Amino acid sequence: MHNDKNLFGVAALFDTPDEIINAAKKVKSSGFKYYDVNTPYPLHGMDDAMGLKSSKMGYVTLFAGFAAAAFILFFMWWTIAISYPLVIGGKPFFALPAFVPITFEFTVLTAVLSTVFGMIAVVFNLPFNSHPLHDTNYMKKVSSDKYGLVIEAADELFEEDKAVSLLKDLGGKDIEKIYYPEKEEHKIFQPRFLVFLAVVAILTAGGTYVTLNKFMYLPPFDFMLNQNKGLAQAKSTFFYDEREMRTPVEGTVARHFIPYAYQSQADTTEVLADPLLPTQKILKLGQEKFLTFCSPCHGDYGDGNSRLMGQFPAGPTLHSDRVTGFSDGRIYNIITNGQNVMPSYARQITREQRWAIINYIRVLQRAQNPKPSDFTDIKEINKESGQNASN
Amino acid sequence: MTKDYSVELALIEGNPPLRELDDLIAAPIDTRPSHKYNIALAITGGLLLIGAICVGLTFYYGIGMWGNNIPVAWAFDITNFVFWVGIGHAGTLISAILYLLRQQWRTGIARFAEAMTIFAVICAGLFPIIHTGRPWLAGYLIPYPNQHGIWPNFISPLVWDVFAVSTYLTVSLVFWYVGLIPDFATLRDRATNKIKKTIYSVFSLGWRHSNRHWKHYEKVYMILAGLATPLVLSVHTVVSWDFAVAVLPGWHSTIFPPYFVAGAIFSGFAMVSTVLIFVRKVFDMEHIITMDHLEKMNKIILLTGSMVGYAYIIEWFMSWYSGTPFELFTTLNRAFGPYGWAYWIMVSCNVFFPQLFWFKKIRRSIPVTLVIVILVNVGMWFERFVIIVSSLSRDFLPSSWHYFTPTLVDFGILFGSFGLFFTLILLFAKSLPVISISEIKGVLQGAQPSHHGDEHDA
Amino acid sequence: MPQTESGKPVVESGYVKKELPKNIGTIGMSLLVLGIILGTASYLIDPARASFSYLTSFVFLVCIGIGSLFLVSLEYAAGAVWSVPFRRISEFLSASVPFFLILALPLFFNMHNLFIWTNPAAVAGDAVLRQRATYLNIPFFIIRDVLIFVIWAIFYYVLIKNSRKQDLTLDQSITTRNIKFSIAFIVIFAFSISIFSFDWMMSMTPHWFSTIFGVYLFSDAVWVALAFTTFAAVTLAERGYLTSKIKKDHYYSLGTLMFAFTVFWAYIAFAQYMLQWYANLPEEIVYFQQRWTGVWKIISLALVITHFIVPFLLLIPRSSKTNPKILKFAAIWIIAVQFLDSYWLVMPSMVDNGLTFHISWMDFTFPIAVIGLIIYLFSLLAKKNNLLAIGDPKLKRGLDFRL
Repeated sequence: MHNDKNLFGVAALFDTPDEIINAAKKVKSSGFKYYDVNTPYPLHGMDDAMGLKSSKMGYVTLFAGFAAAAFILFFMWWTIAISYPLVIGGKPFFALPAFVPITFEFTVLTAVLSTVFGMIAVVFNLPFNSHPLHDTNYMKKVSSDKYGLVIEAADELFEEDKAVSLLKDLGGKDIEKIYYPEKEEHKIFQPRFLVFLAVVAILTAGGTYVTLNKFMYLPPFDFMLNQNKGLAQAKSTFFYDEREMRTPVEGTVARHFIPYAYQSQADTTEVLADPLLPTQKILKLGQEKFLTFCSPCHGDYGDGNSRLMGQFPAGPTLHSDRVTGFSDGRIYNIITNGQNVMPSYARQITREQRWAIINYIRVLQRAQNPKPSDFTDIKEINKESGQNASN
Repeated sequence: MTKDYSVELALIEGNPPLRELDDLIAAPIDTRPSHKYNIALAITGGLLLIGAICVGLTFYYGIGMWGNNIPVAWAFDITNFVFWVGIGHAGTLISAILYLLRQQWRTGIARFAEAMTIFAVICAGLFPIIHTGRPWLAGYLIPYPNQHGIWPNFISPLVWDVFAVSTYLTVSLVFWYVGLIPDFATLRDRATNKIKKTIYSVFSLGWRHSNRHWKHYEKVYMILAGLATPLVLSVHTVVSWDFAVAVLPGWHSTIFPPYFVAGAIFSGFAMVSTVLIFVRKVFDMEHIITMDHLEKMNKIILLTGSMVGYAYIIEWFMSWYSGTPFELFTTLNRAFGPYGWAYWIMVSCNVFFPQLFWFKKIRRSIPVTLVIVILVNVGMWFERFVIIVSSLSRDFLPSSWHYFTPTLVDFGILFGSFGLFFTLILLFAKSLPVISISEIKGVLQGAQPSHHGDEHDA
Repeated sequence: MPQTESGKPVVESGYVKKELPKNIGTIGMSLLVLGIILGTASYLIDPARASFSYLTSFVFLVCIGIGSLFLVSLEYAAGAVWSVPFRRISEFLSASVPFFLILALPLFFNMHNLFIWTNPAAVAGDAVLRQRATYLNIPFFIIRDVLIFVIWAIFYYVLIKNSRKQDLTLDQSITTRNIKFSIAFIVIFAFSISIFSFDWMMSMTPHWFSTIFGVYLFSDAVWVALAFTTFAAVTLAERGYLTSKIKKDHYYSLGTLMFAFTVFWAYIAFAQYMLQWYANLPEEIVYFQQRWTGVWKIISLALVITHFIVPFLLLIPRSSKTNPKILKFAAIWIIAVQFLDSYWLVMPSMVDNGLTFHISWMDFTFPIAVIGLIIYLFSLLAKKNNLLAIGDPKLKRGLDFRL
């Protein structure tokens, strides 16, 4: 009956632990490599009898544990010091004693999960319910009260008759030949499976819809919708001015907003100084902002040559002796507060950009009134680089 | 002298054949539930229902349904949490620490104790979530890049708690499941019903009892025990730090970590004893879970109870020795203040009654043991109550002192948690092997080869 | 092999009594004498300083002695089997217990150098010390500590005498009796070691207190006692003074226990430090501030590394717990670190007494005497007694112990 099938191996049962240990020793000394012992509980000394080396699973645990510890320590520090810096209880950003508990827990969790997953899925290759040993009389016995040994056909030395006689000599009982199960065909696109998929899809979609659109609007999940709160334009019965909307307390400053303290001051020469260095990057930024906001009136080169020239009000030249004599702080104040008909540009131009514009204006002014040394500098640069500096 | 120290005592009385053990352990699973079982399930289910209703009321109306007030912002909720976490410690202690100490008597009770651990931690884990009043926001405790751009405060012991309890639950489950795999295989191979067989096949993962697997399996079991041991200590340590990092007198004490751990083992063992006394009777397992087991457990209860007593004494001494008036006041207030009644219940149940276990007769008397272990559970619940409520109700500012009176909803949730715990236990006892089949077989007399170990010489 | 009075056969342990090499006793004696001479010299140079050094070494010795006695009683009380072959070694190592009282006498005479609360002017000006004066006063201090040393010595005599008697009589009732004494000792030990630690170490820092402190010293004591037992057991077993039946399984258990107590110490020390660091209360944090200034910062960090990280990593692998060389190295390491810990516990309090601290040769004179004393007592006892508890009924099970 089984003749046309693939032989997996020959199995025998033994009654006592001593017999099976002895059998394992003999089978090993006969030179077999592909054989296995199945016992209802782990037998001491069986690893030696089978000549198995001790398990190396400990290294998985060790590696996973150290990796997890390093990661979580870094992660906690990163969240609290880099991602969203927060000082808590006056503790330092890298508060090691306070990090120890979570580091420990995370290390254990990762080590345990990696070890168990590694053992079951990688080393044992489980789940494996189609193994030929399953559903045999042999498996039923070793699961309960017998000790079994199976020599596999995959072994080089395996010969059916010899294996059977070897097991018989060792005192094995119920010798059983075990065959691979017949391959079963499982079509993926069976009608039943497709119906099942459709039902799952409808249930998931419907469930999600009901949860998100109906369930979440029922109490108590509607606490966000029906909370007691003051609406901006509503009438209040509580405040004396009958407004729900409240003005901020005097002196309130918005986050990231630094008030400009020299609002009504005409000349801020003494208190404001250019914080930026005239690097290429800053000058580029100043040029960009100058051409956007200043050039429509003052002209592309700051000489007042704009389309407003000759009209009123026309942007004055920035190369007059008066303007050249302005301090940086004064120009800053003019951009911030405006002057005469020029409006305030504080809303359009950030602080840094204002200073960058001032730097750029200084460059334009210097270009209009160069010093003799500037020309020598350019000559020297040309000599060194061998090309035209104006490029 | 009657006692002979030179021979090892048998762990299982009568040394039954292996197949009989299978039948005995699988019997509760294979038979239909009896009338008594159904009645018991109805009672625990009823308690669970009461708890569910009270939790529902809390979620709907808010935690104003409880007796909590300011300054007593933590009361029954956190008391129950710490109580259940404590109960959850015995299981891992029995399965991991006693495993490492090679105390083979643990095999009879390990599986059951592990299951109790998991159920107790489930009960415990619910309370911090219930106690926030808005459980649907609990997801923010998990560190993930959320839309607010902020992270949990990793310096807060409450976040440590989230990590500790969830790690403990996960590791306990994994530990438990790894132990169950060979038993599922045994159940699979003796099942005749096709549905049962399929279920057991799925859970056994196709385990083949192969020695090439046992080798790694035993090693990993050892590693898991080694990792679970510090873990179980860390969990109650972290719970104790919820209190001890605060500067509140009565909470800020350096002995809290070992003291809490000892208390947890104490209460956990008492709960395991309580349940086992019934289980061994109902399922006819008196020769597997023997009188010796119960006596050993009683000895551990005595030991840990004495450790708790040591901590009480040191606390008293140190509150005086410290010279801090607040410390001394808190200690005196606990014993003689408005919560004095709770304090003396705690002291008598935790320190005085367990001392009766010094007597061998009492250790080996089941009715007396049952009474004492139940008292221990009562006492340990009150210990947490005393620590939390008495310290909070009278802190630094006398004008804000406030007495806490529990409401019916408070009691409902407490009873509900017992309902949940015992319901899960009953379901477990009827659906899974309550004793580890593969382990108990390994410790029978004659189960191991007679000349093993000689190879160690090499 | 000794004959028994009752004529019962001696337990087959394979033990043949061999004399230890004679020079062991000589080495011990000469170390002891050398340490005493150097120590006395240091006392003549700077009595205040020498008092602190002496207390450091005294704490070191008490940890070894009483820790070993605790191991003996723990074996009885827990019914442990695998450790029976090593019990005699722990017994010999606890031989210093009866000498504690004599060795404490120099400290009793130098209390004014050590404890600020012995100074009436300091107490009068300090509310906390005034309150503590009910407990911390010289007569009560001496009475209770003398009482503790006497009780320890009594338990030492009873337990050890019974154990030796069993070698001859093989009487199992002796085990029963010793179990009872051991349990009584453990109960008393829990409180007495706490009082010892509070009195001799905690009270040196005037305002500081920590409820876990007794447990801290307990973890230290058991740790170092295990290290001494391991070192002696491995050395003796290797050279054939015990029996050939001692296997790697026994070594493994010793290594595991050392590992466990390494972790236990880290747990207790961390719990104490973290809670006081976190709360940052002035009366508590002062203790760690003292130990975080100047050279103490280095010593504190060194303690974390040497007391926890190094032995922890060293003893993790199974192979190192069964390797005699690594075990001996770990044991010596632990003994040295334990001295460092005693140093860390005692010496920073010099500042509280108005002295300035710097590391000095004087601190290393007395520990020579401690080591010498232990070796000398060991060789003395080994001459008279068996190195193996051959009368113990659990011995065979202990020797057959397999993992």
